[in-house]
Amino acid sequence: MRKRTSFTLAALAALAFAVPALAQPQAPAAPFQPVSALVDLPDFIPGMGSLYVDPATLPAGPFLAYDREGHLVSTIYMVPLAAMTEHQNFDGLAVGDGEVDHVDIQYNAGHPGVAEPHYHVVLWYVSPEAAAALQ
Amino acid sequence: MATRREFLWAGGLALAGLAAAWADPPLAGARLGRVPAGSAGRVVEIRMRSDALGSRVWFDPVGLRIAPGTTVRWVLEANVHSTTAYHPTNGSWASRIPPGADPWDSGMMTRPGQTFERRFDVPGVYDYFCIPHEMAGMVGRIVVLAEGASGTGLSEPGPASGPLRAPSDAALAALPSIESIVRNGSVRAPDPGR
Repeated sequence: MRKRTSFTLAALAALAFAVPALAQPQAPAAPFQPVSALVDLPDFIPGMGSLYVDPATLPAGPFLAYDREGHLVSTIYMVPLAAMTEHQNFDGLAVGDGEVDHVDIQYNAGHPGVAEPHYHVVLWYVSPEAAAALQ
Repeated sequence: MATRREFLWAGGLALAGLAAAWADPPLAGARLGRVPAGSAGRVVEIRMRSDALGSRVWFDPVGLRIAPGTTVRWVLEANVHSTTAYHPTNGSWASRIPPGADPWDSGMMTRPGQTFERRFDVPGVYDYFCIPHEMAGMVGRIVVLAEGASGTGLSEPGPASGPLRAPSDAALAALPSIESIVRNGSVRAPDPGR
């Protein structure tokens, strides 16, 4: 079967379904875990927020990002370039509970855990101004 | 279950806080790409840099010539980086440091301003990389050469063999030539804002 890459926003929206137990403001329940408890990173990453992920969903995620008041601000997916060139699919990805304000698709050179170039697909539930204020 | 090291973290890192002022000033030339004569026993700095999104990452300078006995201090400026010698003890990499030289690995550096130091006594060519960014070409090369020496006889590390890993294509492409380092004292990476 021919594989295809499905990274369009329309596909993401169509395939997403709500993650349970995301009542705000509070951190997500297990199996989500704070990233900062698993690697030597700050609890709060400027520009992103406090991050949580279910390890079973790696590498794509979703990662759930919260502001300092515990409100969900974004859902982030991470897609290695190699996965794209290999035409891998990431179907049925979960998504945080909120109304998407805008989407950023950003190249990242790599980081611990994804030590290769990849893309972040960020579904923001806050305005660009509020996202920029996550410091 | 992912191990601690295998675990993901979201890394668009805007860990953009710059390092604190240099309390112990390194050789000024290290910033500008030159190591003045008489550098043996001194400290030179290499900055570990990133843009705000983590899209571009690099060592600055990427190539550096030093005299034996010089200490190199890597300074984390932004993002999360390591300085790690290509060596079998650091993850089955084929060695790209001189025979008899000790490898090094800073481990993950996460706090802006964090430093790692290593003294170089054995002459030769040392290639190193950043663990999470090797495939993105974040590598560096240090040439340890006595002052006044021409560098004749220095050669590129040989290809990997057997089960040992070779650098990624991006890493090899990013390494400056030995000749350019010997000639210029240091080599800076291309402007990441290009």
